[in-house]
This record gives sequence, C-alpha cells and structure tokens, in this order.
Amino acid sequence: MATRKSKWVWVLIVLIVLAVIVGAVAWWKLAREVPQQIDAAAMDEYFKYGSIGAEEEMGIPFWIWYALPQVFPDLLPRPGGYAALGFAWERGSEVPVGFSRRTIGFERIGINCATCHVTVLRAPGEPVPRIYPGGTGNTIDILAYQRFLFACADDPRFSADTILGQLAQTVELSWLDRVLYRYVLIPATRKALLEQKEQFEWTDSRPDWGRGRIDPFNPVKVRLLHIDPGDTIGNSDMEPVWNLRPRVDGKMAFHWDGLNTDIQEVFFSSALGDGAVPKSLPAETLKQLEEYLMDLEAPRYERLFPVDRELAAAGEPIYNQYCARCHAFGGEETGKVLPLTAEAWAVEGLETDAPLFTDPHRAEMWTPEAAEAYNAYTDGYPWDFEHFRSTGGYVNVPLDGIWARAPYLHNGSVPYLGEILEPAEARTQVFWSGYDLYDPDRVGFVSEGEDAERYGKRLDTSLPGNSNQGHLWGTDLPDEDKAALLEYLKTL
Amino acid sequence: MSRDEARTVTKTEVLEDDVHTDPIDRYLLRRRRRIFWLVVIVLVILVTWLVWRFNVDRPVTYSSVEDHFKYGSIGSEPGGSLSEAVGGLLPPEPIFKVLPALCPDLLPGGYASLGFVFEEGHELPIGVSQRFRLGIEQVGLNCASCHVGTVRDSPEAEPRVILGMPSHQLELQDFFRFVLDCVLDQRFTTENVLGTMEREGVDLGWFDRLIYRVAVIPRTREQTLILQQKLRLLMGDKVTEWGHGRVDTFNPYKGIQFNWSLEQLPLSELTGASDFPSIWNQEPRDGMWLHWDGNNDSVDERNRSAALGAGVTPVTIDYDGIRRVRDWIWTLPPPEYPYPIDANEAASGERLYRAYCEDCHGDHRFKEGEVTGTRVGTVVPIGDVGTDPYRLGSYTAVFASNQYTLYAGSDKRFTHFRKTGGYANHPLDGIWARAPYLHNGSVPTLRDLLEPPEARPATFYRGYDVYDPERVGFVHDVAEDNGVELTPFDTSLPGNSNGGHLWGTSLPPEDKDAIVEYMKRF
Repeated sequence: MATRKSKWVWVLIVLIVLAVIVGAVAWWKLAREVPQQIDAAAMDEYFKYGSIGAEEEMGIPFWIWYALPQVFPDLLPRPGGYAALGFAWERGSEVPVGFSRRTIGFERIGINCATCHVTVLRAPGEPVPRIYPGGTGNTIDILAYQRFLFACADDPRFSADTILGQLAQTVELSWLDRVLYRYVLIPATRKALLEQKEQFEWTDSRPDWGRGRIDPFNPVKVRLLHIDPGDTIGNSDMEPVWNLRPRVDGKMAFHWDGLNTDIQEVFFSSALGDGAVPKSLPAETLKQLEEYLMDLEAPRYERLFPVDRELAAAGEPIYNQYCARCHAFGGEETGKVLPLTAEAWAVEGLETDAPLFTDPHRAEMWTPEAAEAYNAYTDGYPWDFEHFRSTGGYVNVPLDGIWARAPYLHNGSVPYLGEILEPAEARTQVFWSGYDLYDPDRVGFVSEGEDAERYGKRLDTSLPGNSNQGHLWGTDLPDEDKAALLEYLKTL
Repeated sequence: MSRDEARTVTKTEVLEDDVHTDPIDRYLLRRRRRIFWLVVIVLVILVTWLVWRFNVDRPVTYSSVEDHFKYGSIGSEPGGSLSEAVGGLLPPEPIFKVLPALCPDLLPGGYASLGFVFEEGHELPIGVSQRFRLGIEQVGLNCASCHVGTVRDSPEAEPRVILGMPSHQLELQDFFRFVLDCVLDQRFTTENVLGTMEREGVDLGWFDRLIYRVAVIPRTREQTLILQQKLRLLMGDKVTEWGHGRVDTFNPYKGIQFNWSLEQLPLSELTGASDFPSIWNQEPRDGMWLHWDGNNDSVDERNRSAALGAGVTPVTIDYDGIRRVRDWIWTLPPPEYPYPIDANEAASGERLYRAYCEDCHGDHRFKEGEVTGTRVGTVVPIGDVGTDPYRLGSYTAVFASNQYTLYAGSDKRFTHFRKTGGYANHPLDGIWARAPYLHNGSVPTLRDLLEPPEARPATFYRGYDVYDPERVGFVHDVAEDNGVELTPFDTSLPGNSNGGHLWGTSLPPEDKDAIVEYMKRF
C-alpha cells in the first residue's frame, strides 16, 4: 500500500509540474504584457503608432494581419496591400500611421486616433505626400479595411495552412509560435472577425462611407449600446483633432452635431469606439494625447503655396461680415449648435426654394435614446459619461486649417472650398474623393480625372446622406468678392 | 540454469509447470534480439540520414572571390522546408540542365543563345549558382547573371568577359519565358524528363530517381505554374519587351513578393524595363541616390532588394554569400577603356565636359572614389531631365509602402526606399562599357546621346557585343549574331523613348567628339 500511495504522489507532482509549465508558457504567450518601445516624450510618434488600448479586445495577431493582404490580394479594392486602402505610410515604417503594435502574450496590432486623424497631402509635382497629424483622414477607407478583414475571415482560404504557408515565404516563426498560430490564434481570429462582421452588417444596406468618411456612432449604437440603427445614416467627414485648446476654452461642442461638450468624454468615447474596453481604458495615455492635441498646430497653406496678400486682405472684411460670427474663434455663435429647425439657416436677401440646412441624416442619426444609453453605459467608472446629448442640428465649426480639410460640409459632399460659395445646384454632383493630390487654386483635393478615379472613391451626392444641399451663405456674393473671400480662407 | 514458471489456468485449477530453457531456445532468443537491435540501428541510421539529407543546406563554394561572384550562391535556390518550399525561380539543377534538350524548338541555341556566358570547365553559365538544399541539387541566379558583360573587338575576336559590367547581351525575359514554357510544356512528363536526363548524361542515383519521380518533378511543375500565374502579364506581349540587357526591376516583385494581381494595374505602370547597371566601385556610391529613379540611398539595402529579384526570399537569403560579393564590388575598379585615346582631343573634351556635365555626373576621378560635381547622386525632376517617364511610373508610393514590410521582424527590413519624382544623376565610371545609354537603354552610343533626340537612332539592334570605339557603344546595325536573332529596339514604343537629356546636344560636332573622347578615360 505504501508504494501505491507514493506512486500517486509522484503522479501528482508530475502533473503539477506539467500544469505549472503549461500555465507559464500560456501566460508568456497569451497574456504577458510588454511595454511599447515608443518614447513617451515623443507624443508625435505616440499619436501615430502608440496604443490607445484597442489591441486587447480588437487587436489582430500581428502575423495574421501581416499575411492577409498577401493571401487575399483579390479581396482588396486594388493591388497594394494595406496601402491600397489609403492609410498614411511614412518612409521606412513597418506599419501604416494609425496602427499600434503591442505584445500582450503575442504581438497584436490595433488602430488608434491617427488611423483616421492624419491628413495626407501632396502638392502638385511632389512625389511623396506630406502627413499632417491631427488631420482628417482624407485618403482613408476605413470601412473597406473592416470589410477586407471580414471578407478574409469569411473565405475558405482563411486557414492555418494557407496563412502559415504564406508566412513561411517571408518569416521564420518558432515552433511554439507556429503551434500557437495554427491551433489557437488563427481559429480564434477568424471567429472574432466573423462576429464583428455581423456587427457591421447594417453598413451593407446604406451608402458607402467612402474615403475620408465614417459613420462615427452607428457602430457604437450596435456594438456597445445594442440599439438598432434603424434606417439612420451617420456618414460624415472625419474631423480634424488639432488645435483643441481654443475649442475647449471657448466651450465649443464636439462632433459635427455637437453631441458632447466635454473633451475628456470625447476622447474616452472615441477610444471605446476604436475598440478599447472600459475596464482597461488607458486614461493616463488618453489625457497625454489630449494634452498633445491641445496645441498641435493646424497646417498652413502659405507654407506650401503662395497667397495673394492683397486679394486676401480684400477678403478679410467679407469674411468678418458674412462668416466670422459663426466660424471665427471668438465668434458669437462659433462652436454652438444650429438646430435644423432654426430660422437662422435662412440667408438674408436670398430667395430660394432649395433646402437651407445641410443634409439632415447625420444629425438625425444620434437620437436622444442613444445619448441616454451612452451616458448609462459607463456607470460605475470614475470617468462616467454624462454629457452625451442629441442636438438635432450641426455645430458652427471653427475654420483653422480649412484649406486642408476638403472635401467640405459635414458629409464631405463638396470637393472644393470655392464651391461652398456656389448654390447647391452648381456644386459638383459626382466626384472621386480620397486622392491625395492637392489643387491649390480650387482649394481641395483633385476629385476628377483618371488618377482621382483610380485612387479615390466615387461619391454621388444624390445618395441618402450625401446631399450637398444647404449652407447657402455667401452664394449670392459677386464673383470678385467670392474670389477675395476664398483667398482669405486660404490663410486660416 | 534459468527456471521460469509456465501457468495454465483451467476451469478448476491453475497448473504450474517448471519450464527449462534449453540451449537451442536461448540461441534463438538471442538471435531474435540481435535482429531486432540490428533493425533498430538501421532504422535510426536511415532516419538520421534522411533528416540530414533533407535539411542540409550546402552551397557549392569557391575560394576565389571572382569565382564566387560568377558561380557562388546568394541563396536564390528554393529553400524553406519540404512541406513549404520557398523562393527560387529555376527548377532543380538536373532539370535545368536538360531543359534545352527537352524543348529544343523553344531554345534551339541553348542558354548561350540568350546571352549567358559559358566558361571552360563549367557546365553551367556565369550567373547560375549551385546549392544542395531540400535534399536535391538546386540552381539559382546570382548577381553575375545580370552584371557580367562581354565585349569583342571584332566579330572574329574572342570576347572579353568583364565582371560587374551590365549584361547587355543577356535576354533575361526570354530566358524566363523559356523556363516557364518548357516546364509547363506537355513534354515535361516524369518519364520524358528522366529519359532526357539519361540521354543527356545527367546522372541521377537510384534514390534521386525515386524522389524525382514521386516528388521533385511534379513539384517543379506546380511551383512553376504558380510563378507563371504571377508573371503572366509581364511575360506576355501587352507590355513593351525587355529585350537584351534590360529588366523590369519592380513589377515582377509586385507579383512574386506581394501577390498583387497585376491585371488590376494600368499597363503604364507595368511598363518599366530599364538597363542593367554596372555594379563596380560601390564604395563612393553609398549615400547617393541609387537605382535609376534614385529610390534608395543604401548600397546594402539596394543589394538585398536586387537579390529578391534573383529569387531569394527573406528566409532563404544567404547573407554571407551576398556580403562576400558586396565587399568585393565595394572596391572593384571599373574596366579601363581597351582602345587608344587621343590625349589632345580628350583634354579639350575635358574642358567642355566640366562646363556641361560635371556638376551632375562627376568626372574621371570618380573611379578613384573622388566625387566632383555638386549634384552627383541626386534626383533631377522628370520635367527637367525629360527622359522616358515609364520606369519612374513603375515605382509607386504604394509599392514603396509595401517594400517597408519586407524582411519584417528583422534588422534587415527595408527602410531606405522612397518614391521620387525624377531620375538620378549617376556617376559615369567605366561609362564606355555601360552602353546603350539612358536608363532605358534607348540610345546606342555616347556620341548619339549628344545628338538631339530626333537625330538619335529611332530603331537599332541591341545585344551585339562587338564594340564601336568611334561612337563609343556597341555596333547596333547587326540583326543577327551566330544565327541568333538580336532584339530590334523601337524607340516609339511605350517605355522606349529616346527623348530628353538634352545637355550638350547643341554643341558643334567637334566639341561633341571631344567630350566623348574624354569620357573614354572614365
């Protein structure tokens, strides 16, 4: 009996040792956190490549992400890997701007603020675009990125054999990593992407976001708040996030419809929208990013192109007379919401049957129900949301760096700044947005022609949510005043 | 004496017998044990040998660095593992050797007729390396495939073989076409391949015959089919022919390394053939903008990129092999001009050259590493240089972004590439041996380059290696060499324009002659 007992003790010891080893390896390969190697002082770098907490839940195992464009080139809109989706890419960087690599057990890649908030702009004749942090994601097709990932996961080729087979062409993974990828990460990633695909199915029944645009809050409604989007369409141009201090100081409302006035809530909710989870929201990091963006300067037209000083000077009083009240920092109405029902949309002295307000879809998308649900969503956290609201209108936005924020209006339905000063029927009806070549005369990105059609995406203003109607101020000015005003706007 | 008990259980009782083993039983038992252990040992040896055989990675090496350059491996032979073969552009060595015999109609003159240079004592041409990998003898391309040129003084003369010189006589595109077409030809059956090897005296042992039959030949076909799919558009007739001495550097890469479906790219982007460059005297070039469009300023990164073109992958590359070539071309001197130079004329040409050319191109002292001229190795915007734009357009910013992901996860990852807006000013060491001229090789001689575009030859032949010391370049009005047809070069085709680079074209003829005379000293 004694020997049998000691035999069991030995078996137990061996089992415990095995369990500890397996546990240690599992922890090492699945949960061990490694700090990112980005100089925390270089906020510029951190903004572009640092983590905002989106890797933990929504991060994709790096090597799967790396292999996908090579395994599924046919599922991308055109050849070129992730660059074909318009992501900004700096010389020598392994990943595009807006992608953060972080090791939590295994290396993962997730998105951050810069995915959508950089402007990619090439002056005529320049071979390589400039990248302005804090900008408007003008080239980026974020919905096509999502759909690419979903389509990969939905494809029979999404298997350990094909993905590891492709990876074998370029990297030597360790045996343990291969096992991990084959039996854990590849099946789990596929499952997670297919779940996300379901959460994005509502996008299939409404107009495409296209390049430089996003429906910012319907994904939140579906994914976090479990609210049916119904037939609402939230497609809107990505907004710049530079130069926040005067906005905060002026108590301006954020997002196109001014659904929140609290900068911290705007930051935290954006991180949640990008895939971070409340329980591990990196509050400290987000505060640092906020600090960085407070004083990040908007790019200046004059650094790239000449401005006719005299003409601009002639435009300044016109601006002050017609625009400043709503759009200048310090303007009486700047940063406030103009409800769609307000009479103030009317232009004095202008007789027209055309709608006066801009496309209503975006404002109508964020309902009182959604606002209430988002305020309740974070109950119990020290940073609980309480400022979300439904406004039913649009914010009078300040115009810093407006030259680089094309296309215009909240839904990006007007390709060139000068066209804002034309009545809606004279604005371009169909154009291609997302090409990075800048047209300094028309003040906007080249939106027609072979290259724009190749690199951009078609935007049809007759589709729901895409209307270029409204905002008719200045449309009745004489041509020379319009020219002077446009010249002045270049200097903002 | 050993004693065991034998137990028999019946319904009612257990019977126990004493069993005595006799010597015969013991002998039989020992014999059985011996046979068992013998089998185990043989199996262990066999498995060890197989594992060794299929995992050993052994290049054929050369003690002299020149031979290493000509025949040594940079890792472009297929590698990886048996289950996942990686890299390589050519079939295994025994198959490669008999392809011309297997498909004689596709390549009547053998590899030599494509411009490959064969030397005495070598079965394979310069530029083809050997390596034992994945259990078989493999071949690959190396730097010398595209960077060894031949020069003859007359049709009857023996060719000089100049290492590091552009392989102006090589028809690389037809070479790839031949390999792809022959391997995918209906004659490429297991029986026919093995039979042709036997007839051609390519000897396979019984074990090799076995693995060729069951695995290597079917696998070669499969890999070649994949390669052909990726390159189909570039090997077809929709884009301008590469012709002799030219390669499309970056488009094959888009298909092979990144799996882009080239059908979705505009034909203008897929037209990118350009001249092979010389690769001597690299040291003073480090830090200059390299490649025709100046897209990279690191010699080492440029080398690793070129190696990809030869068929290496980040997992099969032979860094030591490349390093040895790199160290050698670092200081390899350009070849001296082999014909007389008129010193007086050259001296007056030097003065003109300094006025018109030196600032962008440096002078004859570059071969000693001395950089004169303020703009050597910088990029001139396409609008200013005015030469054919297709090569520039074939390299896009999107492609550069993809290149940054190559050699991922290692310190060899590409970080220097960039999209430019023009062509780079190259130093002109050994320029006499770098004909034809301009990045697309659209001007046959140096003297023609000093003529305005309308006076430059509109069509001419490339690939003939008899030299024309008068005009400095190769004789280009010969359509055939030893029964081999040469490539007619039509400057009106997309990518082949001989326009632009107008510097010096309005000088009087005697000044142009003098400049050319001086440039012989480079």
